[in-house]
Amino acid sequence: MSNETYAIQLNNITKTFGSVVANKNVNLSLKQGEILALLGENGSGKTTLMNMLSGIYQPDAGSITVNGEPVFIHSPEDSKRLGIGMIHQHFKLVDVYSAADNIWMGMPAVKYGLKEKLSAEKGNAGETFSVKSKRFFKKAGIVFRAAFFRISNAFLKKKRYAEIGEICKRFGFEIDPAKKVYNMAVSEKQTVEIVKVLLFGAKIIILDEPTAVLTVQEIEKLFAVLRRMKEEGHSVIIITHKLNEVKAISDRVAIMRKGEYITTVNTAETTEQELTDLMVGRKVDLNIERPVTDFDRPLLEIRDLTVKNDEGANAIDGVNFYIRGGEILGVAGIAGCGQKELCEAIAGLRKIESGVIAHKGENIVGLSPDKIIEKGISMSFIPEDRLGMGLAPSMSVTDNMMLKNYRERKYRVPFLKLKEGNEGKKSFRLKRGFVGFANKAIAAFNASCPIVDRKKARASAEQIIRDLEIVTPSSETPVRRLSGGNVQKVLLGREMLTQPNVVVTAYPVRGLDINSSYAIYRILNEQKQNGVGILFVGEDLDVLLALCDKIMVLCHGKLMGVVHAHKTSKEQLGLMMTGSLDLSGEAKMGFAKDSVLEEAQHG
Amino acid sequence: MAKSDITAAKKAPFVRFVKREGMKKRTVALYYICAVAAALLIGAVILACIGVNVFDYFGKMLTVGIAGSALPLRQIENYLNSFVPLVITTIGLSLAFKMKFWNIGGEGQFIVGAIVSSAIAFGCPDLPAWFLLLLMFFGGGICAGLYGLITAIFKVKFGTSETLLTLMLNYVALYFLAFLGNTQGEWNIFLNPESVRPIFGKFGENAVMPVIPLGGFSLNITVIVAILIVVLVWLYYGKTKHGYELLVVGDSPNTARYAGMNVGKIILRTVFFSAFLVGLAGAFRVSSMGTLSESVTNDVGWTGVVVAWLAKLNPFGILLVSALINVLQIGSQAAATSYMQIDANFADLLQGIILFIVLACDFFIRFRVIIRGREEKPKNEGKAEKEEG
Repeated sequence: MSNETYAIQLNNITKTFGSVVANKNVNLSLKQGEILALLGENGSGKTTLMNMLSGIYQPDAGSITVNGEPVFIHSPEDSKRLGIGMIHQHFKLVDVYSAADNIWMGMPAVKYGLKEKLSAEKGNAGETFSVKSKRFFKKAGIVFRAAFFRISNAFLKKKRYAEIGEICKRFGFEIDPAKKVYNMAVSEKQTVEIVKVLLFGAKIIILDEPTAVLTVQEIEKLFAVLRRMKEEGHSVIIITHKLNEVKAISDRVAIMRKGEYITTVNTAETTEQELTDLMVGRKVDLNIERPVTDFDRPLLEIRDLTVKNDEGANAIDGVNFYIRGGEILGVAGIAGCGQKELCEAIAGLRKIESGVIAHKGENIVGLSPDKIIEKGISMSFIPEDRLGMGLAPSMSVTDNMMLKNYRERKYRVPFLKLKEGNEGKKSFRLKRGFVGFANKAIAAFNASCPIVDRKKARASAEQIIRDLEIVTPSSETPVRRLSGGNVQKVLLGREMLTQPNVVVTAYPVRGLDINSSYAIYRILNEQKQNGVGILFVGEDLDVLLALCDKIMVLCHGKLMGVVHAHKTSKEQLGLMMTGSLDLSGEAKMGFAKDSVLEEAQHG
Repeated sequence: MAKSDITAAKKAPFVRFVKREGMKKRTVALYYICAVAAALLIGAVILACIGVNVFDYFGKMLTVGIAGSALPLRQIENYLNSFVPLVITTIGLSLAFKMKFWNIGGEGQFIVGAIVSSAIAFGCPDLPAWFLLLLMFFGGGICAGLYGLITAIFKVKFGTSETLLTLMLNYVALYFLAFLGNTQGEWNIFLNPESVRPIFGKFGENAVMPVIPLGGFSLNITVIVAILIVVLVWLYYGKTKHGYELLVVGDSPNTARYAGMNVGKIILRTVFFSAFLVGLAGAFRVSSMGTLSESVTNDVGWTGVVVAWLAKLNPFGILLVSALINVLQIGSQAAATSYMQIDANFADLLQGIILFIVLACDFFIRFRVIIRGREEKPKNEGKAEKEEG
């Protein structure tokens, strides 16, 4: 074992951020030409560890060995020189540049073997002057050429598209070099990142949650690429939360828990259950429940909804669907095909071009967001950066608790009561008029209370910290100091506290580890059993199939159909997501049989 | 891979910075005190080079000229008279800063407040004193608020940069004041009609800020108002819905919109309050002086920005920091009277040095420096854990 040289060896790596210990005495080894999966819950320090390999952080203690040589990695430049390439969770590309330009930007000066030529021109003792001077001019020529290439490399050349396209082909990728990054799908961006890393001569490739934002088909493609890289002798570390992917791609699995290294096991000799137990540190039930409830009448009905995206194109195009109380309706679709716009439209944050959103039969189109919140419609959208919408990152957990109900604190002036009296009399009518007027004034006065109720918010914060097992020093800690999973729990916890009757939630488990994900599924199921209607925008088809009652599929903003989760398959959903299968033509797809709307129209 | 490439990364860096958290408040205070002391030391060296008696100078400066003055109480009044505008202006600016609205138009808003309240003072001098004063204060404040609102409206409607607009509006106000001070005419009620040269006139008795006599010392009412404003703003942040909305908008406008807040309205409201307070400071200033002058602002609009940031936008911090900065400014003026070699501009020099060193000190409070080969032993960590437990 010790005779083998490892591609990377980490010995007793420790890294602290202030008082937080992110990594504690971590030992990790990566063999030459293997795919190692790095598994651990959120906040277990995987990304921190990898960032030390890519030169973003420096370890406080411990040593790193690359190919048997002890090294210090001070900067991403050092890391690059050592042949380590990292593909980050959030891509580091310039949006307005083309694929070729993004690759070109960081390209090392192409040396064309000039360095070797230069060293070949070593002088011998006892040469004549003419030979010496000839050699001098030759050397100068080489240096000049090197300088020329360096400079010309700093400019964008017209033929760069062809050149970069050629390079991509050589690595076996198909990308359009002239395509701008902002026009790219996530998987294309990832491909650009991979090409970049390979072009820089990386022998060790680290991928941080590469599959989190990909579709099933795209994940297959990525895995094919990884397998080919492995055959070519690259060593790969892949961070992922999805156990089926770990089983599918890796040779060995290294497990971390709370900043500490636990063990490394051979993938072939382990099971998903064992991996989970190692990762969480205790037994975990891996089944997602789908409790049976009595469906209520339709709570939220959406008819012919059309919404534009920021660029002015139709993001949601004539979509019909409805949610009943006590039901989870899943939304499946490739990333960026209208999910965000749909959520924003329901929450009143985006202008609705046409169509109806009816809540309990009442059209809520055009209402302001706070009015929609008052109706009990909760929306939580977890964007890629997790903090973008829904939380104020620099404010405390307590302050974030009252984000939606801070207006509720009112004065408690009691309303006037009307004594029973002779209803026919004029004096009574006058009195009634006065009391009605006075009560309106009192209500307005009560609502005008300028004070916020932080005490109540603190109590709620402490309650959800306890109930959802949120790891935080206190309820007064700024939210941005919490780890991703805990941030999401704060957000969802708050949404549930407002006791909504419709919950719209997008990617609530994005990037969460198994334990936290299951906690969130449990919360959603509890809400469902309380008769809440839930719209669940998800990424993982397995989860959608297991958790939801029905699944609606979107493709480029169009409804492809609504199917029962227990009657469909991943393959069928995949076909619908790519637009190959369209069930929306079927009669009255997305219309409730016992619609509240029809009743209102007819009766 | 070439071997030489690996050796490039073989040594640990000479110095590196590690973030630190959880420093004790007492230690932090000690750091700041040391920083100010270091800055004063540098100032002392400069003074000694010019040949000034350092101890005498600093003695005069740090006691704002009370030491060795024939009229020590006058000096305190003097001190408070320039302290009040600074505090109120800074509090006003900090309101906008908290919302990440970079209002650097303090000078302009201050001047507008001063001009409008002077106009009221000159225009209707015969109103009853309490009414005239209230009219001056609210008139000055509201007009300054509207002046600030111009920027906010453009920001909300068109997304223009508030920094640029507030900055430029400073000069509009400043040159308008210069115009008033230099142009004689029938219409110009601001000037002294008896003077041949253009000079600003004196306010009538009713328009001058009343004082509370305490023995030989007369306490300007604005001092109490200023402290009251500090407390009110502190309550505004911590206890009110408006304050809460302000903080959320400052932190994340998207989140505010998501929570159903009317972000535009909140920005307009906050900027109005911000400029209102700055204008109020202007009104207080002219009423206390009993006249208008072209240097009415005493640069508080600029100093306020510095004070606000040094105090980390904390209202009570602002009270403390402006008291200290004011010691420096008034003290230097007082001390400069006895030394011909240096003038009050030395205060600016010293202020610059202090600011520079305090900011540097801030860096060391937030980061720990580790020099190669002198890593902190893990022994320390164990200690820290014990202390916590």
